[in-house]
Amino acid sequence: MKSYIIRRVLLVIPVLFGVSIIIFAILSLFSPEQRAATFITDVRQLRDIQGVIRKHHLDAPIYMQYFSWIKEVLKGNLGWSKTASRPVLEAFFYFLPNTVELSLFSAPFIILIGIYLGSTAAVHQDKSVDHITRAIAIIGWSLPTFWFGLLLLMIFYGYFKGLFPPESLGLNSSLYVNSKDFMRFTRINTIDALLNREWWIFVDALRHLVLPVITLTVVQCALVMRIMRSSMLEVLGRGYVITARAKGADEKTVIKKHVRRNAMIPVITVSGYLFAGLMNGVVITETIFNRKGLGWWWWRAAVQLDIPAILGAVLFNGVLFVLTNLVIDLLYAYIDPRIRLG
Amino acid sequence: MRELLKVQNLKTNFYTYEGIVRALDGIDLDVKEGKTLGIVGETGCGKSVTALSILRLILPPGKIESGKVLFWYKGELSVDLLSKDEVFLRRVRGNEISMIFQEASSALNPVYSVGEQISESFLLHQKRELYKAIIEEIEKNMREDNFFLKNFVYRFHKRIYKKMLENSKSLRIRFISLLPLINRYKVWLKKEVSRRVVDILTKLGVPDPQRIMERYPHELSGGMQQRIVIAIALACNPRLLIADEPTSNLDVTIQAQILDLIRRLKENLGLSILFITHDLGVVAELCDYVAVMYAGNICELAEVRKIFKNPSHPYTKALMNSVPTLEEKKLESIRGNVPNLISPPEGCRFHPRCDYATEICARVKPDMVEVEDNHWVSCHNFLRG
Repeated sequence: MKSYIIRRVLLVIPVLFGVSIIIFAILSLFSPEQRAATFITDVRQLRDIQGVIRKHHLDAPIYMQYFSWIKEVLKGNLGWSKTASRPVLEAFFYFLPNTVELSLFSAPFIILIGIYLGSTAAVHQDKSVDHITRAIAIIGWSLPTFWFGLLLLMIFYGYFKGLFPPESLGLNSSLYVNSKDFMRFTRINTIDALLNREWWIFVDALRHLVLPVITLTVVQCALVMRIMRSSMLEVLGRGYVITARAKGADEKTVIKKHVRRNAMIPVITVSGYLFAGLMNGVVITETIFNRKGLGWWWWRAAVQLDIPAILGAVLFNGVLFVLTNLVIDLLYAYIDPRIRLG
Repeated sequence: MRELLKVQNLKTNFYTYEGIVRALDGIDLDVKEGKTLGIVGETGCGKSVTALSILRLILPPGKIESGKVLFWYKGELSVDLLSKDEVFLRRVRGNEISMIFQEASSALNPVYSVGEQISESFLLHQKRELYKAIIEEIEKNMREDNFFLKNFVYRFHKRIYKKMLENSKSLRIRFISLLPLINRYKVWLKKEVSRRVVDILTKLGVPDPQRIMERYPHELSGGMQQRIVIAIALACNPRLLIADEPTSNLDVTIQAQILDLIRRLKENLGLSILFITHDLGVVAELCDYVAVMYAGNICELAEVRKIFKNPSHPYTKALMNSVPTLEEKKLESIRGNVPNLISPPEGCRFHPRCDYATEICARVKPDMVEVEDNHWVSCHNFLRG
């Protein structure tokens, strides 16, 4: 097990190198002038673009450029984002907490509800429970996010007069949160509110989370549910399930101990990618609910051709998926002993 | 000779999209205590379905339609397993009647170690015995080691196990079992169970059982996996073992070893076995009685010697002729194909392939007749005398 973990972690290094090569290749598609835009933070610099190009070696041979680029990336210098009016890295950490908060709250709902519905459907295969859950899942999966989000807003913000508002915080609480009395530990509203023991802010942040979390859960949990169901059905037909029954185990033990653990493996893969997908910003959900997270920022960056921000997004996605894969593989090894040796 | 299991007129159907598959069409079987009954027949004739139906392990779309499975529970009165509830059946499965399966590699759960899978049998059926043994063990330790702090812990653990003996699902115990350090009492259970696992593995001739029980199924050879499956089945000293082609996926040498193991178990433990196979050689070697199955029916049932000396049913005869012998003789095959069980032939299910078939065979299903002592045949040729 230990050697497997070490091997798997070391494998991350070449993969990250590959990711950096691909991103640099994308960057190299632009002319030196276009790339110089990354370093321009002030209109006055425009007078001497050639100077900027020379200063940052944008006309040097390509491998030299790669080294100077990767040096800057490792230093954390990803250029200037004009949509956020601050350096890309700083903007990234400014927007990240909102996205993390949304992912942390919606991922457990999506995954647990998906697993529960999927295994219930599989256990009662072809009975009414199965048909109903499958129908719900298909309906949820087919709902367009923007439409469903707007519908929820219409009902719970419009009809019920601001019961669950959009954005990430109300006016009063956001003023208080940004004042000096409030310590920002993580910049994640709910956690900071708990750490500061300001319950009303915590409740306010939760109220703002309800609708986006519902939107994401309804739309995304169909995938987890379908995969859990099919993988449960496959495992239910295996020999060891009959062995477990022939041993005299009751149905609950058979399902919980023998079936579910074996059926979890494909679900873990999907859940990992799902979480990664949530983390790199659920663009539409964040835009609809006007939560200023990564997706919201990248949507605006894409519209305004903010190249440094987009490249930052690509870099972040690459690293995120590599790390997600790492975690998924380690979880596999925990669940399935056959993988530990492989 | 005492009866152990009696199957009467067992019918099992599978409701598929193509139609109703009549997999078992009125099976009658008898297993006597300490004897081995072999069921032979070709693939798809319903041997495995019979085994699964006896333990009521048939899953939908399969359904047991009618019949009786009488089992002499605890050696006293016969109970009909098909009319009992799930809870009773769970007590019988693995405890009184065990089963071993065709493919050992798929019969073992890949994510649990071999030891865990064997100990599950003990934990399911022998909790009380385990607790009693543990209490004795703790008392022994108390006598040997009377350092007062340790003694205090021993006394606490003994109280917990006594409590569990009374009511293993009491809320207080469940609460305690969640507390770290205090739930160290579980170590006793673990030790006792693993001692028993080592015991049973040693009995089955597994070398180095301590090491093997830490292993996962995929790390073991096919023969070893089959031994583990047998260990799971025999963990609770069942009275009847149903072996569903336990050797069909093994190399010939390993087959011989497993058969040898089963024979030794039969002799040493007085185990009754229902042995399902398609191999007549294995039947001749291992069984006391044989039932020949064809398309969901038993066509011949006899003592093993009688059936080899005097095969009476046309199907049995044909089956014997299609087995290679040492003499140089042309091997014969049975003409035609196994019938489709969705629409099986009327009357005797074998008549389309039978050389002796007459007009009545296509209309009436033959009853069993005793042609000689302990030798039953279901064929019209004998009915008419």
